Amino acid sequence: MGSKRLWKKTRLKKSYDAVMIGGGIHGLAAAYFLARDHGITNVAVIERRYIGFGGSGRNTAIVRANQRTQGNVRLYDEGLKLWATLIRELDFNMMFYNCGNLNTLHSEAAMGAARLAVCTAQLSGVRSELLDRKQCKELIPALNIEDNITYPILGGMYHPPGGIVRHDAVAWALAKGASRYGVHIHQNTEVTNINVEKGKVTGIITNKGTLKSPRVLICAGGYGALLAQMAGIKLPIHPLTIQAMVTQPLKPILNHVISSGAYHVYANQTLKGEIATGAHMDPWPNYTTNTTPYYMKHQAEALTELLPCLKGVKFMRHWAGIADMTPDMAPILHGNDPIEGLYLDVGWGYFGFKSGPITGKYMAEYMAKARRPQILKPFSLRRFEQFRHTGETAGAFSYGPWN
Amino acid sequence: MSYTITCPICGKRDLYEFRFGNEERGPYPNQKGLTPRAYSEAVQMHEAVGGIQKEWWYHRDGCGVWFTTWRDTLTGREVLQPEETS
Ligand SMILES: Cc1cc2nc3c(=O)[nH]c(=O)nc-3n(C[C@H](O)[C@H](O)[C@H](O)COP(=O)(O)OP(=O)(O)OC[C@H]3O[C@@H](n4cnc5c(N)ncnc54)[C@H](O)[C@@H]3O)c2cc1C
Ligand SMILES: [Zn+2]
Repeated sequence: MGSKRLWKKTRLKKSYDAVMIGGGIHGLAAAYFLARDHGITNVAVIERRYIGFGGSGRNTAIVRANQRTQGNVRLYDEGLKLWATLIRELDFNMMFYNCGNLNTLHSEAAMGAARLAVCTAQLSGVRSELLDRKQCKELIPALNIEDNITYPILGGMYHPPGGIVRHDAVAWALAKGASRYGVHIHQNTEVTNINVEKGKVTGIITNKGTLKSPRVLICAGGYGALLAQMAGIKLPIHPLTIQAMVTQPLKPILNHVISSGAYHVYANQTLKGEIATGAHMDPWPNYTTNTTPYYMKHQAEALTELLPCLKGVKFMRHWAGIADMTPDMAPILHGNDPIEGLYLDVGWGYFGFKSGPITGKYMAEYMAKARRPQILKPFSLRRFEQFRHTGETAGAFSYGPWN
Repeated sequence: MSYTITCPICGKRDLYEFRFGNEERGPYPNQKGLTPRAYSEAVQMHEAVGGIQKEWWYHRDGCGVWFTTWRDTLTGREVLQPEETS
């Protein structure tokens, strides 16, 4: 059997009806849905390196819809429900494993925050419940619920419909789907400037030539702020390096996604048996993807306290990506302001995988109709100068034994 | 090589001993006539420079001094003040 190309190789045209800057899940999804739902097929996805080079190929693949605020939950819930449809529609096995997520809670303050998040979820029709520490142990027998650790577990927030989706498969499937509608995917093509005339976007400059386009979407993940700068737009974004790693493969011991705000750790066991675990971000801006032993030590210590059977297990691989953090931990989904035809899909931090396809769908509608879909209303760039933050930072992860 | 920051008192120390205090952005804006937008600009918007920038750092796990230094956000390394290197 010869190898089959998932997407067609094409020549860079001089003009497109829409251009996506960044070949991650967001750009590919926006292109796919522009073609599928709006008949706009003269579209290019411009990627500096290769499809999935950014966060889309580096994340820990966790999907869920138990955010703190209703505006967020609405979008993420639709996103969660979209996976099954996409898998069928694109005929691509994305290995959706809806094993459920358990957030362990290590203080009364975190229990209180989780109670509010559970109410938000239940009000929005999303399954989420509060567990006591014994119920956490029933869910994950390997969990340490004793008092002999730095932050003993008081309870948990359990969200059954969440889980894991294979991230590379999502990127490849969307590229394949978009290409089938005629979308161009240009890898190794770097955007070096964005052309604006009289308040309107007119196209982009790349290292392979200048393209005209009346619609440009900045969906460059952690590099989004650099692209926005090309159009003279300043964003409330800090690009922070975030690290992840996997252990050697083990027999099944962890059949849920587990995360702990107090320990700054989230982990799941992959279908291959590795424990994939993500760490916290370096709290200073960087556009680098370097790893540091600091986090390896941190992950080892945290995981050993929470799941003592992992003591002595070896890490096999370690990598990093960039999280584009906004002050309220919610994205910026914005368009035609201050530049007509220029759209922003940035500020996803470490939440932009689970939301990729659904956001692409709505950004496509935004770009086709030049009108912001209702569901994207909470995510305007203008909310910052109005000091109307989404309130997402009040999630249980922000609370620990220290408050 | 591990990442370092140079404290004016303690010298070159491991980066993780420090707390980041934002990019240097000049004096705080005048309160008089300050609009929400200008205030937002001052406190929320970032240059997010891809390259060398002047930053504030705090030696948290050390002597507790606040100081500024220069760093390249494309490499994560502390660098000399640009004028001195050119
Ligand atoms: C370690 C880690 C763990 C994470 N865990 C999770 C998780 O469990 N769940 C979750 O939902 N999210 C998670 N995230 C966040 C998620 O990965 C990102 O939010 C998401 O991938 C963003 O997708 P994107 O398509 O917007 O951008 P990206 O996938 O980052 O794609 C942007 C692309 O733009 C390209 N680009 C940049 N500059 C240019 C230029 N000048 N010209 C052309 N192209 C350019 C880049 O090469 C890149 O391929 C995690 C992120 C990291 C790093
Ligand atoms: Zn010092």
